[in-house]
Amino acid sequence: MKTKTWVTILGMPVACGFVLLAGCGGKKEETAEQPAAAPAAAPTAAPVDPATVATVAGTVKFEGTAPAGAKIDMSQDPACKGTNTAEALLASGGHLANVFVYVKDGLGSRTFDVPKQPVTLDQSGCKYHPHMLGVMIGQEVKIVNSDPTTHNIHPQPKDNREWNESQPPQSAPLDKSFAREEILLPVKCNQHPWMKMYINVVKSPFYAVTDADGKFEIKGLPPGDYTLAFVHEKLGEKDEKVTLAAKDNKTVDETFKP
Amino acid sequence: MPDKPIPENDPIVTKSLAPHYVICMVVLMATLFWALWDEDFGQRPWKTFQHEWKSRYSAFLKTARTQSAQSQKEIENSPDYQKLKQDYEAASKSAESRINELRERLREVGAKILAVQDGPGHFTDRRAYVTAVTYDIETTASSSAKQGKQRDLDAYKAEPSTVEMPDGKVQTFKNFGELEEVYNDLKNERTQLSAELGELLKPVTEKKELMDSYLADHMVSLTSSQLLNLQNSVESLTPAIRQINVNEHAANLEREDSAQIVDRCESCHLGIREPVNLTAAAMSLPGKKPDEYARAFTSHPNRDLLRIHDSERFGCSPCHQGNGRATTSVEKAHGTYEHWLWPIFRAGNYEAGCQICHSADMVLVNNDVGWVIGEGKDLFRQRGCVGCHRYEGYDKEPEDLLSIAQEIKLLEQQKKDHLKQADDFMAQADKAATNEEANHLNDRAVALKVENSKVDLRIMQLDRTTKSLLQDMKKVGPNLKDVRLKLNKNWIPVWLKKPTDFRPTTKMPNFRLTDEQIRAISAFVWQSGLTDPPPKHKPGNAAHGKELFETRGCLACHSIGEGDQIEGGTFAANLTRVGEKANYDYLVRWVHNARERTRPYCPYEKKDIGPEDYKKKGVPFVFDLDHSKCPNDGHELQVQNMTVMPSLRLSETDAEDIASYLITLRKKSPSDYADASFMDDPQLKEQGKKWVRFFGCFGCHELSGLEDEGRIGTELTAEGSKPVERLDFALLTEVAERGGNEPIKDPEDLARLPEGPAKEPWYDHQGFFEHKLAEPNIWDQGKIFNDETEKLRMPNLHLTKEQIRALTTFLLGSQENPLPPSYQYKPLDYRKDIQEGWWVVKKYNCMGCHQLIPGQKTILMGLARYQDAQEQLPPKLLTEGARVDPQWLLRFLKNPALNDNDTNRNGIRSYLQVRMPTFSFSENELGKLVRFFQALSRQPFPYIPEEVPVLTAKETEMARSLFSSTAAPCLKCHATGDPVHDRTATAPNFLQARGRLKPDWMEQWMLDPQAISPGTSMPSGLFKRQDGHWVFSGPTPPSFQGYDKDHTKLLVDYILQLTAEEQRRVASGMGRSRAAVTPGPPVAAGSGGRGVSK
Repeated sequence: MKTKTWVTILGMPVACGFVLLAGCGGKKEETAEQPAAAPAAAPTAAPVDPATVATVAGTVKFEGTAPAGAKIDMSQDPACKGTNTAEALLASGGHLANVFVYVKDGLGSRTFDVPKQPVTLDQSGCKYHPHMLGVMIGQEVKIVNSDPTTHNIHPQPKDNREWNESQPPQSAPLDKSFAREEILLPVKCNQHPWMKMYINVVKSPFYAVTDADGKFEIKGLPPGDYTLAFVHEKLGEKDEKVTLAAKDNKTVDETFKP
Repeated sequence: MPDKPIPENDPIVTKSLAPHYVICMVVLMATLFWALWDEDFGQRPWKTFQHEWKSRYSAFLKTARTQSAQSQKEIENSPDYQKLKQDYEAASKSAESRINELRERLREVGAKILAVQDGPGHFTDRRAYVTAVTYDIETTASSSAKQGKQRDLDAYKAEPSTVEMPDGKVQTFKNFGELEEVYNDLKNERTQLSAELGELLKPVTEKKELMDSYLADHMVSLTSSQLLNLQNSVESLTPAIRQINVNEHAANLEREDSAQIVDRCESCHLGIREPVNLTAAAMSLPGKKPDEYARAFTSHPNRDLLRIHDSERFGCSPCHQGNGRATTSVEKAHGTYEHWLWPIFRAGNYEAGCQICHSADMVLVNNDVGWVIGEGKDLFRQRGCVGCHRYEGYDKEPEDLLSIAQEIKLLEQQKKDHLKQADDFMAQADKAATNEEANHLNDRAVALKVENSKVDLRIMQLDRTTKSLLQDMKKVGPNLKDVRLKLNKNWIPVWLKKPTDFRPTTKMPNFRLTDEQIRAISAFVWQSGLTDPPPKHKPGNAAHGKELFETRGCLACHSIGEGDQIEGGTFAANLTRVGEKANYDYLVRWVHNARERTRPYCPYEKKDIGPEDYKKKGVPFVFDLDHSKCPNDGHELQVQNMTVMPSLRLSETDAEDIASYLITLRKKSPSDYADASFMDDPQLKEQGKKWVRFFGCFGCHELSGLEDEGRIGTELTAEGSKPVERLDFALLTEVAERGGNEPIKDPEDLARLPEGPAKEPWYDHQGFFEHKLAEPNIWDQGKIFNDETEKLRMPNLHLTKEQIRALTTFLLGSQENPLPPSYQYKPLDYRKDIQEGWWVVKKYNCMGCHQLIPGQKTILMGLARYQDAQEQLPPKLLTEGARVDPQWLLRFLKNPALNDNDTNRNGIRSYLQVRMPTFSFSENELGKLVRFFQALSRQPFPYIPEEVPVLTAKETEMARSLFSSTAAPCLKCHATGDPVHDRTATAPNFLQARGRLKPDWMEQWMLDPQAISPGTSMPSGLFKRQDGHWVFSGPTPPSFQGYDKDHTKLLVDYILQLTAEEQRRVASGMGRSRAAVTPGPPVAAGSGGRGVSK
């Protein structure tokens, strides 16, 4: 017989075997289009260098005639002896107070230490002081009742947990904190329907509330491109872009219309 | 012999069989390899899965362990843990020496016991002999033999025995008695020592447990050692089929009540029940996208569900379907091949599995919202599918009515039989031979008469149920007998053309009517309508009407606005253009009381009864729930419109105002509609009736002369288990089998397909339902028609993608249940009350206003008006059954004003603008609702109120000081009945607590109202725990010195005894002179009762 035949005879099963082996040699593994391990190019969270920090400040104006503050009827509780004007829209001389200004975008993945110092929310004259409060996530809010009457503090958040606690006169301050970012988190007192204020829970320490002259200032920002948000409880939000170089001192003004 | 020449072509020399052998060998070899391949791969693909599982899972566990070890270390370093550890160490150290001592003693005693009891001639041996002989003596009959044996025994007992003690000494016991005594003493000593050791060890083990549970509680995942155990078990895994044999009657699979579940799903889905959370990403190979293995190895996404439905009892396929026994390929196991009737439910329709056993549940899980299957159930009901398609459990009232009528007939017959039999007995008794027999027969006759009284009472009960059922019967669409009173005539044909053109969100589907059909149908509807004119009304104040409309709660069901501007609920009609179609006078009547009928309907005579019928009998034309008998024949009448719209108890003027506002809602003038006087053409009427019958309009609407028509569609109760061949794909079968080439071309209908245009083959139930719902006449494609009646009738329900997905899920799960009854959720206890209650709750859209499940959003919550005024929202009913006395609830649901004369108000929350309407529930539904709320809170039913202790003068004084304390000024927010004060009130009057609230609930409420009604105005923190009691958080007067009961309880008792007078006094004491001067209006629950002792 010819060698060819032998080769065929012996070769066939071997070939078969190989074919089979190849056939069952495991499934082809799909290769990921993008390696899952590599995270999206995140801005490197460089520590803030105090030597290069910039400041942004400005004034918030109100265009048009501000409505006179609505009178509050506090007669339902004789213990309330505060000023009887509502604080929803405070604009004197075209300057808008109680606007919350914060860095909405541009800080990347930087994280900031939560201040150990609590911020205080005082209830006196059956009003909240301040009316617009900024606080960092996890930072303590110390709630004090300086009135001779009982208040209850009732935040009605969208993204945080709701609670409602009674605080009689001369009782110990309540220590609370909020775990998630939330702008314009309303707080009210159910016993004094006019009592209302807003807490703004933010991730960074770069925020401010405009004073009676509409002025604000945010210090200590590392150089970069930022979006500043101006938030007013009635007039809504306005955003401004700002680029800060090292040691910059920039002014960003904002105008709200009724 | 000359040699024969060898033939030239000798086959032995020239031919070879080698090629044949080679071929055979190749074939055999190939078969061998094939068999080997099949062994591991071909027939057992799950083996590859298990190999992969082994390597991937152990790799996963390895990384998990390092992470876990790290976090474990962190926890162990935490001060809390360290403290526990120190405690443990201190405890074990202090007890250590004594424990060791005890252990040593125990060891010694144990050895002594062993020495005394074991061995030849020792205690156990001798005792056995003594017992045996004693038994022998007792069973011996003759007394002489007994005595002989007794002597032997005594002699044996007196024998001494020697024992070598563990310390090597040999001890001799002089007789059996002494040996026994020593043995028993040793045993007692051991028991005492063990008990003492246990006592000593207890605190130590407790501390150790504290330590371990602290660790387990604070670890996010499992502890390192737990993970190690898992890893060891996975590494020692050998490939094997993993099978769930459901044990229920497994021995006999042929039995009817056998579960017949043998699921091998876990042979590939190995991670389903693992105690760690496995995601597809975590199970992928490093740097690779999740492949088929990674997806198969994930853990069950809903562990809570798995916990309720224990896999060992349920297996997998009862919920997911598929072919649980198949192991040869993924397709076979998932049942996605043509020979398996129940393919696995795909993503998006998973919840179809719930419907199989939970078809009686309108709401699946008490603590969850957002179920696709739940939306499907709601849609099926709200959209009126049940008007054409029967579905078991839906729209049950007509069926119940029928069965009750039959039962009454049976009972009547039974009564007759009883009477006859009783007569017979009495006749026999009269002629009986003895008095005894006569008395016996008479007794039997009496028993039958008593039985008949019971039957009579049962029939009366059934008559009441009939009345209830008539009251409960509702239609999805409006009563078309009233069209002439209610509608702008010219608007009707425009509406029928395409209802969504007029009102995009309407429930009325598009019927694809030809102009001819429209003319005929509108003519029939118009001409068969009642002609009685509604009473005339003067025009109202539209501005006030608008305010009422927005504040009374209309928007919980109705919506206003179109497109993005839409506000309100989808339960009832969008009213944006109602002014174009409605007649003002009719609208006033409707708003005032939608249930008010023009004429009552007599189901017995099958006609609407008018004033003329009443006049003939000389009775006034008055019909309502109290006057519901037909003047002609005394049968129960349908006296209400069959609508779920309740009465808001508005005054007539308010109703006029709202109607005046509604009539202004329009885009064009009613007079702009083209004249439709053809509707008066009597010739069109008959033709119209034919079409109305054809399209089954009476399924949703009341229509004269068609009240008793049956449903025109197919029954859908088991539509999901119909073999796919019985679903009529018509000429599209081929297209569906091949996939691609989507037959729906209309862009609007195409957008309704949940998965978009078909790419894969869709010849299955899901494909059928989705296409049918997206374009109901799709199966008409390619057919040739001689007549309109040959076309498909099902109208287009203009559903969205999500709605079609929900309805498809519902239909897929609508199956003849293959499981034994014990697997189906058909509870008979309180859970049945819950099941029944949800049907009523959903029927009347209670959840448009009230929150019944934590986290559930009501329609009103979403309205802009309430964003800043949440205290103006209707109360949450999360604990209603535990809160109120069921008897009170019954009264309240009957009449939420809680007052027979002054009804234009809320009975409890008078400070709310939104109004709890009167639904005029039937007795049947009232009962269901009350039982539902009790069951939902697991409260006993019936409820027996506890006796409220009468407070002493001192206690009253103390309670009053709490009640009026500046630290908890109750009356600041709670209504007092003083109108000036109540303007700012945000909570109910305390005088209504008695008879309404359960004392336990009140106490719980005072302690933590936020945990009962999240977001409530009532603050928490009024009481604190002190020395095992609840104590007021604010300052308390000196009278509380030494008071050692719960302050909450005191306050509850006080409130339950509060009188109007006391409340006024307290209110005036709080510096509000007005409250003292103005006496409040009488309060329903406040009058009478015990006074507060002074």
